[in-house]
Amino acid sequence: MGAFDWGAIGYAAPYMFKGAVVTLEISLCAMALATLVGVVMGLISVSDLKVLKALVRVYVYFIRGTPALVQIFLVYFALPRIGLELSAFMSGVVALAFNSGGFIAEIVRAGLQSIDSGQTEAALSIGMTGRQSILFILLPQSLRRITPPMTNELITLVKTSSLLSVISVFELTRSAQLIMAERFVPFELYFALAFYYLVMITALSWFSEYLEARLA
Amino acid sequence: MSAFEINSAALLSIRGLSKFFADIPVVDRVSLEVAPSEIVMVVGPSGAGKSTLLRCINRIEIPSEGEVLLEGVNMAGERRNGKLVADPPKAAARKRRRIGMVFQRFNLFAHLTALDNVAIGPHRVLGAKLSDARALAAEQLARVRLSDHVMKRPAQLSGGQQQRVAIARAMAMRPALMLFDEPTSALDPELVGEVLEVIRSLADEGMTMIVVTHEMQFAREVGTRVLFMDGGRVLVDAPPREFFASQHARAREFLRRVHAVPAA
Repeated sequence: MGAFDWGAIGYAAPYMFKGAVVTLEISLCAMALATLVGVVMGLISVSDLKVLKALVRVYVYFIRGTPALVQIFLVYFALPRIGLELSAFMSGVVALAFNSGGFIAEIVRAGLQSIDSGQTEAALSIGMTGRQSILFILLPQSLRRITPPMTNELITLVKTSSLLSVISVFELTRSAQLIMAERFVPFELYFALAFYYLVMITALSWFSEYLEARLA
Repeated sequence: MSAFEINSAALLSIRGLSKFFADIPVVDRVSLEVAPSEIVMVVGPSGAGKSTLLRCINRIEIPSEGEVLLEGVNMAGERRNGKLVADPPKAAARKRRRIGMVFQRFNLFAHLTALDNVAIGPHRVLGAKLSDARALAAEQLARVRLSDHVMKRPAQLSGGQQQRVAIARAMAMRPALMLFDEPTSALDPELVGEVLEVIRSLADEGMTMIVVTHEMQFAREVGTRVLFMDGGRVLVDAPPREFFASQHARAREFLRRVHAVPAA
């Protein structure tokens, strides 16, 4: 076995840095969309909107029961069939957001349902509607409980974005793979790749810890 | 005045109210009229259906049968062509806010200060500006002698203080009727007095209330009327003096067990 090729890591750095920026862009867009989708569906899950609730159940059932890779291909190949031409980047954002959104919906639902029923009863007794009690009483109280599992989910989202390399989005994993094809140093580049992801996810964890402390 | 209008002397009318849980009647055909400024004390052994009766009045629990009218308004819905049409959520909430409720476990909103626990109703439900709602809340908290604690969260307050905030929260909605569901049962003995004192002062001001309680001394002194419930039914409905001298066998037995009368 030859020596560790530091030169290859240096050579790849500008490309991988660009890839990392794309991964960040995709992840942040998908996180925002996933959080929106997930919170709305979580709220629907505890509401009295029967039809929408059933649709959310079906959606969560599908997302949980199929691999993210399959979902990514479905979005990439299926949307053009119904006349929606999205770039690879946008397809990636949509696929990641809808994947994560399903899990976030469950996290939000569990968070809301974990609040003592006395809180809802008190809210109703002062004349709030069910919707007001969810919005003003249950949701604010569940935020702190939701933060740790939500962080896990968003970390998963960042890592799942590596799968977008298969629909040739030039994100971090794809950038490393392209250099591998050129320089034949898979070990060095996967090693570097792991390091890049670790840095991004460490930053995300720190932000989450800060948020959790603030919500205390 | 139409012949269909109900007895205007009654603030609250309960007619044939029942609540079943899995076919078991927890409240069994209860009928009751409460006049303005009456203080109705509801007593009885645990499992008698006292709390469920209370919860059916403001529809936190939906009654299985019967109806509840507050100031002549049916709490469940409107009659159209003889049929009862259930209220949509907003109308139901509007009716419910006429009835204040105080819970055994306080149920203060854990994420809000004492001040905002009281202000959130006037602000979010009655549409008052936040600053006005907070001013009103400060007034209500002063009435229950908590002016020094307005910025504390529920977790920083004693049980007695929490329950007084809960009373202020309910009163801030200017209810026509107050329901108290064992308001002192979760309190340390030395904190019971301060809460009973606040309830007594509301009674003195003429607030109409129904109080489920195990405090027999309090029921005797403050109540204008005592209901004794057992097995979901109201077995005795009498002024306190009469109730505590009641010859009703189950009532005697209950009073003996809670040491409200000396053993025979």
